[in-house]
Amino acid sequence: MKYIAIILIAWLGTNHAIQGTFVSKNAKVSIYSKAPLEDIEATSQKGTSVFNATTGELAFSVPIRSLVFEKSMMQEHFNENYMESDKFPNATFKGKIQQLPDLSKDGTYPVNVAGVLDVHGVKQNRTIPGKITVSQGAVSMLSEFQVACKDHNIEIPTLVFKKIAESIRVQVSAAYTPYQK
Amino acid sequence: MKKIIFIALLLTAGYGNVNAQKTKKDTTASATDSLLNSLSGDDKAEPVIATFKATRLILSETSETIKKNNLNFMVIHRFGDIGGTDGGSKTLWGLDNSSDILIGFEYGLTNNLDVDFYRSKYEQLLELGLKYNLVKQKSDDSMPVAITVLARAGLKPYKVETNVYDDYANRLSYFYQAIFARKFSSAFSMQIAPSFLRNNLPFPYLAGNDKNIFSLSAAGRLKFSKRMGIVVDYAHPFSSFRRNSNSPKFYNPLGVGIEIETGGHVFTINFSNSQAISPINYLADTESNWTKGQYRLGFTISRVFDFNSKHKGTNKY
Repeated sequence: MKYIAIILIAWLGTNHAIQGTFVSKNAKVSIYSKAPLEDIEATSQKGTSVFNATTGELAFSVPIRSLVFEKSMMQEHFNENYMESDKFPNATFKGKIQQLPDLSKDGTYPVNVAGVLDVHGVKQNRTIPGKITVSQGAVSMLSEFQVACKDHNIEIPTLVFKKIAESIRVQVSAAYTPYQK
Repeated sequence: MKKIIFIALLLTAGYGNVNAQKTKKDTTASATDSLLNSLSGDDKAEPVIATFKATRLILSETSETIKKNNLNFMVIHRFGDIGGTDGGSKTLWGLDNSSDILIGFEYGLTNNLDVDFYRSKYEQLLELGLKYNLVKQKSDDSMPVAITVLARAGLKPYKVETNVYDDYANRLSYFYQAIFARKFSSAFSMQIAPSFLRNNLPFPYLAGNDKNIFSLSAAGRLKFSKRMGIVVDYAHPFSSFRRNSNSPKFYNPLGVGIEIETGGHVFTINFSNSQAISPINYLADTESNWTKGQYRLGFTISRVFDFNSKHKGTNKY
């Protein structure tokens, strides 16, 4: 009986090793699109993310205006014409990790996150693959996926169609810290 | 007995724990949301961008400046009178004539300051100036307008046989303007700009003409699609000489047009009674009247070249 109690307590203990809420205030989000005339590339370090290691819930948000382009005209057009960032200031993803792996041990765990991607005010159900890395209690995540412009009602005017690819590659990386209230 | 109590305690502890998790689970959706909101909620008011598409509407300079290491190349054209004595079919409604052609370069020294050079056919005017975006409009209306100031010197270099230009300083003009612009919505932007023009030699050279002219201009844009908008541009020079003069008669310049943006290029196709393109010329000397058919087709082509170095390599985490 004692042994059972000890095992139970030990099990409860390990289960609590990576638990609770983790946050990231400077998640990196970059977009890239190969296009015939010029590649489009922008990066933001101002993404925010919340990860609940207990439930597997994951939320991401990035202000569209924080994406920095090499060319200022491109950045202006991106905000004004394509993303309409005054109307839709943030792109978000809210989902839940399917089959949450046991994060008690250090390692890299491939995961799929099912949820809703909200870009340009259009919500899409997506299952996005990613990787969770646990190293000495520190949690970080990486993900890469494609966003099709037409899925999110992002119009590409025919006058400039050669400049913009129809699909944008999005890379997200975040390092988390435990959330303290 | 001790064992049983221990197990019972453990069980209740475990049960309580499960309960706690359950209630937590029920609220996590909103808890995650509110936590995310609180993380991203500290964003400051963003500066409003793209109040206007280009640095010029029809007559006016806009509050926009050229960004750092970008070069804006402009060609602005005004044809001849469509109607009236100089218009009609004999000049193909003014298309055979050009009343003014301006070629201009604007280069961004910083994101808010540009240096500008223009050459006009009208009076062969050469202009060199600076334009500075002093204040940006903020999205939360903590600053309701953008303020841009510009200063410019003009030189009329042409050779003359008369003694009017004996003193070289008489070839010089100066123009100063403050532009107050507001983007009311993504479709509607407006600006009001008080300005001061100094012609060292009153222009046109007439007895009683003013060397100094204060003026106020107003301009607006209403977009009817993402890339097209109607633009209206008006300037009012405050000058009793201009108001009272009968020969020549002066009129206030007014332009209406359509602006088309193609991603890199901005075109305007417009009609205006002003023959000249530069404010140094049109504020001092607009002698054409809309009601007499003395308006003309004009266009502006503005193309921005970016000299910021391109990314090398691919983007990696």
